[in-house]
Amino acid sequence: MTVYTCMPDFESMMTCIYTAWASGLGHKNIRLELEPVGQYTLMEQYIHVDADSVIVDKVSNSIITKISNHFYNEITYCLLGFEQDRLDTVFRVLILGFAYGAQALKMLHFKDVFRLLEINKRVKNESCLFRERLHFYEMEKGLYVSHIEPKSQILITLGPAFEDRMPSENWMIVDDVHSEAIIHPKDRHFYIQKLTEDELNFLIETEKNNDNYTDLWKLFFNTIAIKERTNKKCQDNHFPIWARKHIVEFQ
Amino acid sequence: MYEIRTELTLDEKLEILSDAAKYDVACTSSGVARQGKQGYLGNSCPSGVCHTFAADGRCISLLKILMSNQCEYDCKYCKSRKSNDIPRATFTPDEICTLTIEFYKRNYIEGLFLSSGVIKNPDYTMEKMCETVRLLRTRYRFNGYIHLKVIPGASEELLYSAGLLADRISINMELPTQDSLTALAPNKNMKTILNPMNKITNTIARHRVSQGENARFDRAVINKHLNNSIFGPSNNNIPISDNHNGQIGIREINNTTTSNEGIILNDHSFALPAERSDSLLKRNFAPAGQSTQMIIGAGNETDFELIKTSQSLYRCFDLRRVFYSGYIPINDDPVLPSVGTPVPLLREHRLYQADWLLRYYGFHAEELLSETRPNFDSRIDPKCEWALRNLGDFPVEINKASYDALLRVPGIGPVSVKKIMSARRYSKITFPMLKKMGVVLKRAQYFITCNGQMLYRIPMNEQFILDQLTDMERPANLKISGPDNSFRQMNLFDDFNLSSTTSVS
Repeated sequence: MTVYTCMPDFESMMTCIYTAWASGLGHKNIRLELEPVGQYTLMEQYIHVDADSVIVDKVSNSIITKISNHFYNEITYCLLGFEQDRLDTVFRVLILGFAYGAQALKMLHFKDVFRLLEINKRVKNESCLFRERLHFYEMEKGLYVSHIEPKSQILITLGPAFEDRMPSENWMIVDDVHSEAIIHPKDRHFYIQKLTEDELNFLIETEKNNDNYTDLWKLFFNTIAIKERTNKKCQDNHFPIWARKHIVEFQ
Repeated sequence: MYEIRTELTLDEKLEILSDAAKYDVACTSSGVARQGKQGYLGNSCPSGVCHTFAADGRCISLLKILMSNQCEYDCKYCKSRKSNDIPRATFTPDEICTLTIEFYKRNYIEGLFLSSGVIKNPDYTMEKMCETVRLLRTRYRFNGYIHLKVIPGASEELLYSAGLLADRISINMELPTQDSLTALAPNKNMKTILNPMNKITNTIARHRVSQGENARFDRAVINKHLNNSIFGPSNNNIPISDNHNGQIGIREINNTTTSNEGIILNDHSFALPAERSDSLLKRNFAPAGQSTQMIIGAGNETDFELIKTSQSLYRCFDLRRVFYSGYIPINDDPVLPSVGTPVPLLREHRLYQADWLLRYYGFHAEELLSETRPNFDSRIDPKCEWALRNLGDFPVEINKASYDALLRVPGIGPVSVKKIMSARRYSKITFPMLKKMGVVLKRAQYFITCNGQMLYRIPMNEQFILDQLTDMERPANLKISGPDNSFRQMNLFDDFNLSSTTSVS
């Protein structure tokens, strides 16, 4: 068995898929894994693959033209997840995709298709969770900063939603886990930027700028609940505790 | 009695007026898709957005406040009733606008839900509410979601303005019959609720037709596959209500507004000049439709009356939602349940389940309940209850059954049905696949077969399946209804009639 390994970023993963496919070793004799590899085995050969933007374009175009745009989107969502088996799952589903076409995603009797849809559902739910729940703090007059700590790399999915919501405001969403930020200047398009450690440390300070509206929100949050209907379990089910890190009312 | 102080701070006002608004159930921001635009703040998402969940487990989507809790009315069930001795406050339009904008920019809320007590008279109150929302839409350039509560008895001009400024407008029905309304809300009557509701429905329909859309709102896609749906074209001529217990108005108004094809555009709409200043905002009239709310447990109405009324409202007035609110005893009044009576949470839950069955599963109120069986069984959900009464229709073969037959199986919902229909084109469906698709097998197993086989050897016996389901649902039901506090230490003397002075012979 030959194992192709790569870093868990989108470009490296797409390059890894291409390299494994083009190896000609037979799909059954290949496995794809993400680095860091948990446990190396003696009888397997490990080959590290580096990102190559030309190959990424090739793979993307090939999926879009030969299968479908929807198929490409589904695969992209899966690669944004945190599951360790996501790269190998995408590879197996691509084999089915090139064999059966776009309808392969409806063939739920293949376990890899099920797994891909399962990962996608979780990533989309997580993206939805942060789109709904993240809170902005006013760093200075007219500049809003938000911090999130997602499990998956969902930052890219938040950009279009907030650009539509607040097109004429200056705002920034910082992913503290993956050290990235979406920056949106007023009346312009958003862009993504990698952050250095100093920049991250500086931005973390923004949460200490509590203004009157954070207090007013906490007051509203506490009074709007009906005492006679208190149901902590229901609240916890709807708003998982792990996602409450930067939420004003739970501070 | 507390005096109305003009020097109340914003914090105090927010505390008083959000506390007074919390008993209103509607807090959804769904029903309209609107993109953001440069220079404005906000957009609207058709599925709605829940920003957080309060300690009672209810979603917070909108800034839900009253404009004022001063009220000229004396509804017995209401906290803000005239005769209650509570602190009173009134927001200024600018305060409401600033709170909405600042909360929205911080992503705390999706928009504004504005209701109010009746200050002076319904017209004065409605005018103030419209003024606030107009300010929010124009000077503050707010493009997000607004839900405006209509004050029964307000004039047509103001209702028309409200519809043009807000996304959703609603009139609270509160109680399903005229008798209970007369007993508990003497200042309200069914006519002042149903007449504006009817006019709003027709005005919405006119606006939709002028935009090239259907007069009726597009319901969940699944209804197109269901022959028996209450929203289906073949079912608009089913008799609506039996007009019992003073359930007046719905049938009368329905006779003039609906036909087999749906809503007729007649004179029952706001016929006002198009050049009104609110029309210049180029907004559709209430694009997210209208909703209403009914209180559960304050009067003597049965589940059958409630669910039948809801069905009529969905079909006659094309309402987007009917909300049910378990009555919370806050006022001491001889005609109401006494303070301390538990909130009927499980009954409310069953009604919501039945409401979903009407809107997404193709059921009719008459199938779920009847005059002889007027209330839902608290032990099992309404779908299981229906399935047990119709065991002759089961078991259903997953690999062959039709869309509506699958949707009527307990434990299978619209999403699972869609997956089943799609997947069975490529392979036979098995029980492990069903489990992965999200089918709740612990309920569905009694009613389905896969390739001719049931999951276990299960006798098709109503009592056996009822016992199994009851046992399984008990912990879930307890979570909703709260702990049963009726347990107590048994006493030999009281419970077994033993005397404390026993004679020894």
